[in-house]
Amino acid sequence: MNIARTDWARALGALPAEEIRAAAAQFARSLEVQDISLPQAGLGLLTLTDSAFHQPFYLGEVLVARAHVVLRTADGAEASGGAVILDDSKQLVRAMAILDAVLAAHLPGWESAATLLQRGHAVHAEMAAQRQHLLARTRVDFSILGLDEEEEEDDE
Amino acid sequence: MAYVAIKGGRAAIDGAAEAVEFMRAGSTGKEAPLQLDAIEQQLRLLVSRVISEGGLYHPRLASLAIKQFQGDTLEAAFALRAYRSTKPRLLETPPQDTSRMRCIRRISSAFKDIPGGQMLGPTYDYALRLMRLELADETPEHFRAISRRFLAATPEAQLPATFPKVLDALRAEGLLPPVAESREAAFDITREALTFPVPRSAALATLARAETGSLLGIAYSNMRGYGDIHPTVAELRVGYLPVMLPHPVTGETMEAGEVLITECEVVAMYEGNAADGPPTFTLGYGACLGHNETKAISMAILDRALQKGMKDGAANPSEDPEFVLLHVDGVDSMGFCSHYKMPHYVTFQSDMDRLRTTQKKSKERV
Repeated sequence: MNIARTDWARALGALPAEEIRAAAAQFARSLEVQDISLPQAGLGLLTLTDSAFHQPFYLGEVLVARAHVVLRTADGAEASGGAVILDDSKQLVRAMAILDAVLAAHLPGWESAATLLQRGHAVHAEMAAQRQHLLARTRVDFSILGLDEEEEEDDE
Repeated sequence: MAYVAIKGGRAAIDGAAEAVEFMRAGSTGKEAPLQLDAIEQQLRLLVSRVISEGGLYHPRLASLAIKQFQGDTLEAAFALRAYRSTKPRLLETPPQDTSRMRCIRRISSAFKDIPGGQMLGPTYDYALRLMRLELADETPEHFRAISRRFLAATPEAQLPATFPKVLDALRAEGLLPPVAESREAAFDITREALTFPVPRSAALATLARAETGSLLGIAYSNMRGYGDIHPTVAELRVGYLPVMLPHPVTGETMEAGEVLITECEVVAMYEGNAADGPPTFTLGYGACLGHNETKAISMAILDRALQKGMKDGAANPSEDPEFVLLHVDGVDSMGFCSHYKMPHYVTFQSDMDRLRTTQKKSKERV
């Protein structure tokens, strides 16, 4: 698994929410899950740096959810997990936090979470490829009328 | 203004609510209900408008609002703001850097060659404004064919997802004013009322969620001659900005998601004198949630106009912060306009009484 932890939420977020919740529920059946802070959902004020004068201002708001959990295995091992996502579902972000802990500590069964992660990553890669295509198909090379050598010859 | 509490009309008001639903469903009931996915995809620019005017990035909810209010952008933006007002504020993001934007479109009207190149992306800029009558009878198969055709042509070039800023190149040449690091906290228009003079961050936030037509109208007055900004678009970009937030466990910056935004920088008339240092171009900045180029350009023009007005005094309406910032919000202005539909029986009765008295006195004098 060569996906950085900072990209896990992004990758998992590309998959259907039900799938993420189901996978997390599967782990929660065999592990003790403790909420370090209760999952929250609400608003985040989106701060942008204006690129003209580099001054911060608020562009608008986004929906944000975040969760922080600790998982304990039957033999006493612990792992911390967390997630913050642009969504308003507490259940989803908690599920992502559980998967984050499982993946970070390689808890038993982590391979199935890693498979999910790879699938989400692939969805993102596909989206990135489509955007790449959009750019490449519309790349423009303007030239100034009259400065082209051929045109000058034609004019003569 | 005097108001009077009225009573009655309950059955008619209930009936009106049902009537508006009846109009949405159609008299035959044979029409298929609009699906949110279809609105989000096929009316993406409308969704963008509602997102930015509502001030909340949520394409799904914006689509729902458009469906619920039958295409009324002002009401849809109002609904989005009402929704956000039910949510607690969890955080402020750290300042996000738009040079990280994953562009789908990037153009400049200042230079034909810009670092990284120009990409027209999805645009009608070069399209004929002729009706395409074949769209009246599209099928899902048509959509599949469009997608297949577009993706089949494989371009040779591999391009990066992010690009440098055109302004950075101009700044490196000394043609732009230097950037002073700002330590001033940004102004939160969702919690503080505008009391003039306001900081530029308040102006930018107000313009960013302003109603597109209002912004365009005032910016257009400046373009036509009630002002002298004379802008050149240094760069206009549309793309997905990754929103970076600290991971709850590690504290390391992670990507929480991405938002589609439009951003525009305009270069305007130069100013300055020897005492202040060499003259440099002036700048205007515009940005909004969603894909809305007219809005971003209008905002950039007004940002520059307002900077000028704040510095030298307003010479025309578009340079007057109070005039511009208090009249561009769609929800505010629509609310005031709509309130005239509510019963004003007492005030109008008073107007009639005064008119009758005045007429009577007028006749007596004659």
